[in-house]
Parts: sequence; structure tokens; C-alpha cells
Amino acid sequence: MSPMDDKSFDDLKEAYALGALPDDERATVEAYLALHPERQGEIDDLSGVAGLLALAPPEQDPPEDLRRRLMQVVESESTSPEPARRSTSSWFGWLGDFRNVALGAAALLVVGLLSWNVLLLGDVQDLQGEVEQARTSDQAKQPREIKLGGAWAEQGAKAEVTALKDDRAILIVEDMPSVPEDRTGQVWVIRDDKPEPSGLLDPSGNMAATAITTPLKDADAIAVTVEPAGGSDEPTSDPVLVQEL
Amino acid sequence: MSLIEGGDAGAFAALYDRHGRAAYSLAHRMMGERQAAEDLAQDAFLKVWRSASGYRPERGSVRTWVLSIVHNRGIDQLRSMASRRRTQDRVEQTAPRSQPSEAFAEAWRNRQREQVRDALGTLPAEQLKILELAYFSGYTHVEISDLLGLPLGTVKGRMRLGLKKIREYFDQENVAVPR
Repeated sequence: MSPMDDKSFDDLKEAYALGALPDDERATVEAYLALHPERQGEIDDLSGVAGLLALAPPEQDPPEDLRRRLMQVVESESTSPEPARRSTSSWFGWLGDFRNVALGAAALLVVGLLSWNVLLLGDVQDLQGEVEQARTSDQAKQPREIKLGGAWAEQGAKAEVTALKDDRAILIVEDMPSVPEDRTGQVWVIRDDKPEPSGLLDPSGNMAATAITTPLKDADAIAVTVEPAGGSDEPTSDPVLVQEL
Repeated sequence: MSLIEGGDAGAFAALYDRHGRAAYSLAHRMMGERQAAEDLAQDAFLKVWRSASGYRPERGSVRTWVLSIVHNRGIDQLRSMASRRRTQDRVEQTAPRSQPSEAFAEAWRNRQREQVRDALGTLPAEQLKILELAYFSGYTHVEISDLLGLPLGTVKGRMRLGLKKIREYFDQENVAVPR
């Protein structure tokens, strides 16, 4: 195997990233990279782009049998058993409990509506004040501002996250579309495809604000969905606001 | 991933439930039929299970890592077949549309898929064909050159331009390349 020069590497790097080199040329590229680790970044970058092709095929459900066969092997080699899945009946039971809790919460909500509105107004003002304070403080001289797009933005809502240096973040939505009384906006921070519940967005008039309870550091995106009042453990609808980070 | 590395079958089951569909879809696209796709997906997930310590978060997401294992093992299998299935004429079916009630994570992944498909839609057909023959069918650049009757330099050039154009799509849309 003859050593590779820079020009040959440049000539072959895309084919390498696509997996389109025969074994001998692939080995030559890898030997070159071992000697020139400073060029590994180019390969990582190209491989990242080439890897996107993996997302292009139409999605197909794998056969159920595949999971069963895999788990048989994995459990035989495992140090701990797979936890039992939630049964259908317990799922419906949980739904029933949730409805009861939601009905109770709704009754309480009616009783306390006036004072709640006052509290919400206060919350929005407090959060706006917090943003302003942070903007002018030494600790966060350059807060990061992230505008969110999506269906609500297309309807005229202005949604912006202000991410502060100490990993706090606040979402403010102006001209927010109306949400049914039994629903609420819920904020999600998405990391590695997993949405984490990160605050509820209860409107005061046509405006809402909430502190984002999950750090944005290393997150992939932030999104808002409309969920049952009180929020959900996992999103149950498509995002109405979203922005990749 | 650390739980899987520690031999936790439940953690592996969760990983399979999250990424099994995308992995099987890629396997099916590469192998062209159900049984071979199933075998490839099983082989790849067992590799994930037994080599979880090989995952490097700084190189990309878990999904990217799982799909790269499917892809690499798929290429190995395609190249080792005596008479391999030629997939270049296969026409992709229309992707199933997501339902409004679908879980958010699925919607999010679908959004990324749509972006990737949009990006591929900006490629000239001759560039897309070469990327597909290389990535999904496991042909080497020399084999593609022979297959299409093109100079090797043209094949490499189209690979270069195709990947560059995909990157430019994401740059123009002002979104990060999904990892």
C-alpha cells in the first residue's frame, strides 16, 4: 500500500465519506488520516452530510418478530431484564385517572379564575422584568435571542426565547393564538430526538411568558405544542412553534 | 448508551423502539427485500448491543451512529453477495404521511426527514443517482464509473458537488445539518 498525498486525499475524501471506496483505497485513506489527524474534521463533516442519506428512504415498520428475536439474544446476554411494558389496561386506567384529575383541576380553575388572571399578569411582568434585568446585568451582557417559527408564527405570533449566560432561558409569545380552556401551550426542549417537558405557556390576554425549566445547552431544538391543561409527559400533538438550536 | 454498555436489556429495548424504524427503513432501502433487511437490521442492532462502548457522542447523535452501523454492515453484505441485487432502478415509494396525533418525537424526526428529502430534491438527477448508487447500493466509485459509462473523474466530481449542494441547502435554510 503506497502512502497517500494531500492531493489524493482531496480526490477521494467524498467517496470515502459515502462508503464508495474499495477496501484497499479505504485503508489508504485511513492510514493517511492516522498520520494527519488534523484532516479528520473534514471527513467527519463530509460523513455527517453523507449520513443524511440514511434519512431519505420511506419509513417502514420493522416486523414485530424482529424485536422479539433481538430481545431474546439481548436478554440472554444481559445483566438485567427488560422492564415490563405498561399494559393496555393500565394505560386506559391512567387515562381515566388523568381525566378525573383534570376535571377536578378544571373545577378549581373556575373558582380561582379571577385571582389566577391577576397572578398570570404578575408572572408575565415578572418574567419580562427578569429578562430586562438580565440584559443589563454584568452576568449576561450578551443574551442569546432565538426566534421561533411554525404554525403560530404564520398566524402572526411573535415568539422569542432569551437564553441567558447562566443557562436560564425565558420564552415570551406575543399575539398568541387562542388556546381552548382545557388546553395549554407546553414547551419542550429536544435533545437527541427526546422532548423534555420544559414549562407551560398559559396566556394572559394574547401574551404568555414562561421560564424554560430545562437547560438549552447542547439541546437540538426548542418547541411548543398544545397539550391538555396541566401539560403532558410526552407531546401528543405536532409543534405549533419550533426552532432548531 | 452507558446503560446499554453496562448490559441493560431494558435500555437496549428503548433504543430499539426509538431507532428501529429508521434503521429498518434504511436496511430495506439497501437490501431491497424484507428478509435481507430484517437480517441486516438484526445484525446491526446486535453490533450496537455488543459494541455500545464504541459510541462517541462528539461524533454525532445515537441515531446517526446506529444508522452508520446499518449502512456499513449493509455495504459489507452487498459487496459480499455473489450476485447482488441491483437497486439503482428501484423507485422510492411515497412516504406515508404522519397523523396529527402522532407522538412529537416521531413528528420531529419526520421533519428532519422532510428537510433531507427537500435537500435531495435540489440535486441534479445525475448527482443524486451517483450518491444513491454509492450510499444505498454499495457500489464503489470505479464500479459506478463502469456502470454509467462515465469517466472516474466525473463520478468523483458529482459526488463532491452532490454533497456540497446538500450542505448548502442546510446553510441556506439557516438550519444545522442534523447529526
